Amino acid sequence: MGQMGFYYDLETCIGCKGCQIACKDKNDLKTGELFREVHDFEGGSFPSPYVDHVTISCNHCDKPKCVENCPTGAMHKREDGIVDFDHSKCVGCKMCMWSCPYDGPVYLKEEGKVAKCDFCKDLLENNEDPACVSACTMRAIDYGDIEELKEKYGTNQSIRYFPDLDITKPNIVVKQKSR
Amino acid sequence: TAVQAEELQSSEGEWIPAACWHNCGGRCLLKAEVVDGIVKRVKTDDTREDSPDNPQQRACVRGRSQRQQVYGVDRLKYPMKRKHWEPGGGNKELRGNDEWVRISWDEATGIVASEIERIRNKYSNRSILVTGGDIGRALNLVGGHVGTWGTTSWGSWRWGPAYFGLQEGYFEHSINDRMDLRNSQLIVLWGLNPAWSSPGSPTYNFLQAKKAGARVIVIDPMYSESAELLGDEWVPVHPGTDHALMLGMAHTLIEEDDPDSNPLIDWDFLKSCTVGFDQEMMPEGADKEANFKDYVLGTHDGQPKTAEWASEISGVEAGVIRRIARDIASTNRVALLTGWAPARIKNSDSWPQMFMTFGAMTGHMAQPGRMTGVSCHFGTGNGGPRLVMGGGSGVPPGAENDVSDSLVHAEMWDAILKGEYTAGYNDKRDIDIQMIYHGMGATLQTRDGQSKGIDVHKNVEFVVTNGHFITTNAKYSDIVLPATTPWEREGGFNVGNRDALFYYRNVIDPLFECKDDAQITTEIGMKLGFTAEEVYGDVSPRQQLFNQIAGAQVINKAGTDYEPLVTITDKDITEWGVEGEPQKGRITVSELEEKGVYQVERKPGDNYGYIAQEAFRKDPEANPLETATGKLEIYSEALAEYVKGIGFTEIDPIPTYNPATEGYEDTYKNFQAKEKGDYPLQVINPHYLRRAHTIFDNNPWLREAWPNDVYVSTADARERGVKSGDTVVIESKHGKTLRIAHVTERLIPGTIGLMHGAWVEMDEEKDIDKAGSDNILTGAIATGQAISGWNSTICDFRKWEGKDLKLDKLWEPRTV
Repeated sequence: MGQMGFYYDLETCIGCKGCQIACKDKNDLKTGELFREVHDFEGGSFPSPYVDHVTISCNHCDKPKCVENCPTGAMHKREDGIVDFDHSKCVGCKMCMWSCPYDGPVYLKEEGKVAKCDFCKDLLENNEDPACVSACTMRAIDYGDIEELKEKYGTNQSIRYFPDLDITKPNIVVKQKSR
Repeated sequence: TAVQAEELQSSEGEWIPAACWHNCGGRCLLKAEVVDGIVKRVKTDDTREDSPDNPQQRACVRGRSQRQQVYGVDRLKYPMKRKHWEPGGGNKELRGNDEWVRISWDEATGIVASEIERIRNKYSNRSILVTGGDIGRALNLVGGHVGTWGTTSWGSWRWGPAYFGLQEGYFEHSINDRMDLRNSQLIVLWGLNPAWSSPGSPTYNFLQAKKAGARVIVIDPMYSESAELLGDEWVPVHPGTDHALMLGMAHTLIEEDDPDSNPLIDWDFLKSCTVGFDQEMMPEGADKEANFKDYVLGTHDGQPKTAEWASEISGVEAGVIRRIARDIASTNRVALLTGWAPARIKNSDSWPQMFMTFGAMTGHMAQPGRMTGVSCHFGTGNGGPRLVMGGGSGVPPGAENDVSDSLVHAEMWDAILKGEYTAGYNDKRDIDIQMIYHGMGATLQTRDGQSKGIDVHKNVEFVVTNGHFITTNAKYSDIVLPATTPWEREGGFNVGNRDALFYYRNVIDPLFECKDDAQITTEIGMKLGFTAEEVYGDVSPRQQLFNQIAGAQVINKAGTDYEPLVTITDKDITEWGVEGEPQKGRITVSELEEKGVYQVERKPGDNYGYIAQEAFRKDPEANPLETATGKLEIYSEALAEYVKGIGFTEIDPIPTYNPATEGYEDTYKNFQAKEKGDYPLQVINPHYLRRAHTIFDNNPWLREAWPNDVYVSTADARERGVKSGDTVVIESKHGKTLRIAHVTERLIPGTIGLMHGAWVEMDEEKDIDKAGSDNILTGAIATGQAISGWNSTICDFRKWEGKDLKLDKLWEPRTV
């Protein structure tokens, strides 16, 4: 089975943070706990400014450092490429958080364990879209098999505001504004 | 416990259409998954295939956070009394700082009823002020109460346009529908930011118009998210100077127009559909010299309203003014769209008429792809009558209010303190308010001159609030009564954009001791000696809901009339235990109950399109407007008379420019010499996605997502040594507030963006607000048609030398 990935149309994203909130609701997260976060970047200068928004969660990487560095095997990659976690094995050591360049893993204070985007795997099993995808009022998020996404939307050599893609090989396709 | 939470998460529940009822400027579908009486999560519209023509009505960031509202740790759970309250108020200065004590419903309604009786006997019913809600049903049975009124969100679009021939933009629209917007070649977004102010589908609809080829010019003091998404050009303008800018554009057209070689003005349209443009077009009996064209040319006042003149006021370069004017005038199909924000300006009564006048000059009205008018709230980019709507509940109207006094929002706090209010032209009346009942709304937070409002609340003898939280209204009350949210009620309809109707039903039982507002009013009425039927009639909540369903209507296929929406069978009536008649409609009751939405299927060129004032333009004599002349009135004596009659300020019959009180010009000590004054900056109050007005301000998920920083321009920040992240104090002549600075290139220098609706948090020792409450900076200054002119406020800011503010998300909730 292939590899799941996300597509983000950052030309159309208005930075409303609806995906961030839908994700919090789905995963019942507290303040300070974000599996998906929308970041704002401003630039240019008056009277020609610009503002960019980047929505990001776990990128379910090909070479996930979190999995590589997890000492207990709690963090693992599923057959469909989703990087998932197993709370029965997690000891809350935060190695995964330290390893990930995208702040994917999140420490849940009350549980003393790490969790993260699991691609709404329970919704996928019911043939439903991940919470962030069905939440987007601008239809700027898509998902699916990464090869199909690449075919449909192209590939990225690099993504503005992102670390070097070669480090972990994230499974996302991003449509960026031309600047 | 964690185990229970785990079980809840793994159980499958029932999806129930849940109300998303807020005054946010949009309307969407929300559904709640309920397991064992608890909402596990929410989702939005998945009831239809999603397409640009027929989009799912997806809920925004606020709707998606609604579990944090309904289940907020700070929800009001029980009736509460201010600890040191006693009849007559006791130490009234303690309001806002006293402790809260839980009391029974019996005691709470007893106190409210006895204070109503005491105050009306000691003073009169003219001493009881109601700011909202349905408590009037009880009060009117014992002689009535004083009310409030004003232009609220509309600004000067509220009452004036009826006199000169456009619509106010909420109930009725002067713009075409969203399908026709795709026919426009150029869209001008003049002071509107749907990405923040019109959640749900509007921004997505605008994107379709853009994809269909429209260029977009955004005229706004702030480079908004809408400007980023849609704009081909951003024209930054000083707040409240839009009128001057448009006069400069009108001058350009008058100066450059040549019907043969350079046709810029649509003379045919002006002649057939308007009055007042030039000497020849003046209405009968009017002074011919008082026409618009001569005003623009400065024929009589010696001041031509040239692009240069407009540039000095608006901050837009003269060359840009001319270029935009030509661009609009020489493009075939243009949509001139404006929000209400540029009209939430003191003295702006002539601005909507100016907007209409420019639309008329260019002829961009009443034809496909051509429109001029208000595009905001439910009607954003989608004008026209509703295609589907709910029915009435059948609740009989309450008793008449025997008190006719009503206070203007922008004046009322001052009026109460002074004991005198403006009732009309040369008509001042005494007033002695001693009791305030906040039945709903956020009056103390959202009305002009909040500092005076707080003083009022510390002076009167009794204050009571129905609410969900210790909101600003509740904080300064003696008694607070916990109300249910619509999730805890029987159900109903919510309307929004014209395409869709939203149905919601009971999601959960009332939390703790919360009661419906109707029930609260009924119980207070009973304490006043009346029966429940006398207060609210005898239509049960179930029957009320059924009546709304049975009365729901949808446009017929031909687009000519309405027909019943819902099929009702004898079995439905029996199952519901209500009275009613079977009927044939489009969908069954159970389909409505399951889906929670009915959306009229649209396609370009269908029977449901809307071109505003189309018939009027085709044949103005046969289809006159409801103005005095039947035409669009560039000269409108009726408008000038109406404004004069309100009793504050006066205007001319033609749209002359009147600088705003506390507007751009007032930032100068000497405008001619360009010497800045003590308050050199202007304040705008953008609607902010953390809140719907004031609602959700306490929501922890939204506090995290939207921190509520004050936006300040790089130039102004540099001048004051302020960096992003610094705590700053913002000061006007009316009050002071603290916020964390967000230094940005996205604002025209000289303007700050203080987001609308934060709940005031006074540090009483320092007399300073810490929450960024917009109305702490505004004064109680009424002008024109009773405008609340929030976007005309002036201030300065500086680095705060005291303790840095904590991020709002780290603030303690107001749990009681």
